Amino acid sequence: MSGSPAAELPGTADRAAPGPVHHKGPGPAPSGWLDPRGRGLGGRTFALHRITGIALLVYLYVHLGVLSMLLIGRSAWGDFLSVVTAKGFLAFDVVLMFGLLFHAFNGIRVALVGSGVAVSHQRALFWAATVIGAPLLVYAALHVFGGT
Amino acid sequence: MLGHPSNRTARVWRWTVGSGVALLVLATVHMIAQHFVVGGTGGLRTYQQVLDYLANPVIFVLECGFLFAVTIHGLLGLRGILLDLSPGPRLRQWIDPGLWVLGTLTISYGLVLLITLAIRA
Repeated sequence: MSGSPAAELPGTADRAAPGPVHHKGPGPAPSGWLDPRGRGLGGRTFALHRITGIALLVYLYVHLGVLSMLLIGRSAWGDFLSVVTAKGFLAFDVVLMFGLLFHAFNGIRVALVGSGVAVSHQRALFWAATVIGAPLLVYAALHVFGGT
Repeated sequence: MLGHPSNRTARVWRWTVGSGVALLVLATVHMIAQHFVVGGTGGLRTYQQVLDYLANPVIFVLECGFLFAVTIHGLLGLRGILLDLSPGPRLRQWIDPGLWVLGTLTISYGLVLLITLAIRA
């Protein structure tokens, strides 16, 4: 046994590498990220970050599929608009905006903390993002429903 | 191809953060220019409005950049989630090539869509 005890801990090299916070310390297995039990704010926002990320990736492909209607022509796009501007569909837009805003603001927090900046201010960053993001979501919702 | 795993991790992290920062700018421009300056129809553009929008060369370049950034960022995120599922070695070796193919197809199709619509304007 040689070297310092810290150097012998499993995953020491991974923890030294730049990356998200969940790679830097002990805790639940990464594959259990969806399970919110026993998690703090950081673990729950990490799970929601991934859930919104998956949803936005699915939406990317839905969006590309929907935009293909523009290739069909003016009438196909007009028919599509008449469907998606119904109030029920506009509610999906607000959910989408929540996903976008949460993922963007939490992504800034994760990038700052994962890069070693503001590591000790995770909670403050979360609440700052909430204070900025909530009015933006309300504005977006008002715009979406106000435009009908 | 990507070298030592820890180098690869750092490189993936840099690309994820870099594409994320680019997305902050490009997605904001996309959302405002495409949806928030449009009156009526729930912030959605009519057929002619979409064509006119993409006919602007600056917007066209920004939308192409948005397509690249969102695809790279999204698929790198998906890669992290897939790897966290602890796939076996055989499945694991297909993740990167599979995501490269998916990303190439996504960007190619998106570019075809953008170019076709810009030409129609």
